[in-house]
Amino acid sequence: MPHPRMRVRGGELGKLKHAPPWVIVALLVLLPGAVRSAPAQALPYQRPVDTAPQADSIGGGYKTPPVQKPLPRDYWLQIVDVVALAAAMGISVWLVLRRRSRRWLTALSIGCLAYFGFYREGCICPIGSLQNVVVALTDPKYSIPMVVTATFVLPLAAALFFGRAFCGGVCALGAIQELVALKPVQVPRRLDWALGLLKYVYLGLAVLFAVKPALVRDFLICRFDPFVGFFRRTGAPHMLMLGGGFLVAGMFVGRPYCRYLCPYGVLLAWCTRLARRGVTITPDKELDCGLCAGACPYGAIEKMRAVRRNCMYCARCYASCPRDGELAHAKAGLAQVSGAAS
Amino acid sequence: MSEDLTRRDLFGTVARGTVLAVLGGGAGFLVKKANGQIVWQVNASRCINSRLGDAGAEACSLCTTECVVALSAVRAVNEYSKCGRCNICPAYFNITSAVNELGQPSEKLCPRDAIVRKAIGKVDPEDPANNFYEYIIDEEKCDGCGKCVMKCKEPLGLGSITLRVRYDRCVNCNYCSILKACPQNALMQLPIEQALEPAQVNRAG
Repeated sequence: MPHPRMRVRGGELGKLKHAPPWVIVALLVLLPGAVRSAPAQALPYQRPVDTAPQADSIGGGYKTPPVQKPLPRDYWLQIVDVVALAAAMGISVWLVLRRRSRRWLTALSIGCLAYFGFYREGCICPIGSLQNVVVALTDPKYSIPMVVTATFVLPLAAALFFGRAFCGGVCALGAIQELVALKPVQVPRRLDWALGLLKYVYLGLAVLFAVKPALVRDFLICRFDPFVGFFRRTGAPHMLMLGGGFLVAGMFVGRPYCRYLCPYGVLLAWCTRLARRGVTITPDKELDCGLCAGACPYGAIEKMRAVRRNCMYCARCYASCPRDGELAHAKAGLAQVSGAAS
Repeated sequence: MSEDLTRRDLFGTVARGTVLAVLGGGAGFLVKKANGQIVWQVNASRCINSRLGDAGAEACSLCTTECVVALSAVRAVNEYSKCGRCNICPAYFNITSAVNELGQPSEKLCPRDAIVRKAIGKVDPEDPANNFYEYIIDEEKCDGCGKCVMKCKEPLGLGSITLRVRYDRCVNCNYCSILKACPQNALMQLPIEQALEPAQVNRAG
C-alpha cells in the first residue's frame, strides 16, 4: 500500500491567490532564505491546513496521540491525608499525655511539617477548611468534598477529649514556628491578652468575607497565610516577607500566629475548655519550683495549673520538670549500679 | 467536694456530647450535600490567548506568573485531533527568525523548549513541506506562558492549542490567584468531568 499522504499537486503561482493567507505569510518568511540557500526548484508549501488531517487521511497506521489530562490527586490518596491527620493526632496525644516526650513530639511535628507542609504544599489544612465549611453551610449551591469536612471536624473532636493535640504535633504552621522558637520570652499577661483578641477579630472577618455572595466572596485565611509561601517555595514577595517577619518574631515570641491570629485556634480553644483529659500540671507537695511555668512560652501555666485552652501541646513543661528528670536519672543510675553488680 | 466534682463531670459530659452532636450533625449535613469534585478550569472562550489570532500582540502570561505553585498549574494543551500538523508550525518555530539551510526558521518559539516535533511517516526529502508533523507538548516543561497558544491561531494555525489546568499541580485554591489577576475572568469552577473535556473556543465571546 502506497503511503497515502494528503497533497495538492501542481505548482502554478496563480493558485496562490486562492491559497489561505498563512501560505502567503509562510512564503514571505521562507522565500528569502530559500532563495539564498536552496536551489530554485524549491516547492511551494501547498498542503492546506484549513482543516486538521485525521488519522485516516494521514494513513500508515497513524493513531492520534492521546491528549494529556493529568487527573487530580486520587480520592484514596485524599483519604490517606485524612487518615494521616487522625493518626498524627493520636500519636501526638500519646506522646504528650503518656510518654511526656518533647523530643519525640518534635520529631512528629517535623514529620508532619514535611508531609502536610512541604509535600502537600499546605493544602488542605483545617485552618483554611473553616472557610469552606462556613460557605458550604450557608450557600445552598456550594458543597465541599467529604475529606474537607473530615479535615475540619477531626481536630475539633480530638480537642473535645484531649485538648489541642492538633496544634502541638500535627499543624504545619505550628511546627514551623515551633522550630524557630529559639529564645521565647514570656509575654506580659496584659499584652498577651490584648493581642489574643486579634484572633477573634480575624475569625469574624474570615467568616464575614466567606458568607458573602459567590462573586465577591474572599478567603482571607488562605490569602494571608504567612507560611504557605515557604511550603510551596514560591509566593508573592510581600507574603514571603510577612512569613519571614512571623518567623523572626517567632524566635522570641513563641508561636505568634497560633496565639494571636489563628482563627481555627479559637474553635480549638473553645472545644478544649470541655476537654475530658488534657495536659495537666500536678504540683508536687515538696517541690513547688515553678520551672514548668517558666518554661512555657505560651503563658499556659497559671498558678501552677495548666490553662488548657492556651496549651499548645509542646511538652516543654514536662521536659523542664526536675522530677521527670530526676526519675530518669535515678533509673539510669540504678541500671548502672545493677550492671556493675552483676 | 466529691459531689461537686461529679456535678462538674456531668456538666462536662453533657457539654461535650452537645458539641459532638453539633459537629456530627454539621458534618452529616455537609457530607450529604457533597456532590463530586469541583475544580478550576480555563474558560477558553474568554482567555485572550485562546481567542485572539496573531495580531502582533504579546501573549498574556498571567497564568505563568500568578499561579501559587512554583511551576504554574496551567499549561498549553494540544488537542491533537484539531492540529494541522504543519511543516512550519507557527507555535513551534519562531517564524520571524532567519531561515536556516533546511528551509526552516532557525529559532523555536517556546522559551522552555517544551514542544517536540516529530515527522509522521517517511519524509520525502524532495518535498518535506507536504509531510505531516506531530507536535507533542512536554507538559512537565510547559509553564503556560501562552506564546504557542497565541500563535496557533488563524490565519497561521488552527487553534488546536489552548491553556488548560493540570490537576496534578493545581492545589485547588479557594480563590484562584490567576482568576484574581485575569482581566477577562477566564477561570471558572466546574465539576471535574466537565473540566476534563476539550476546550471550546467561542470566537464571538
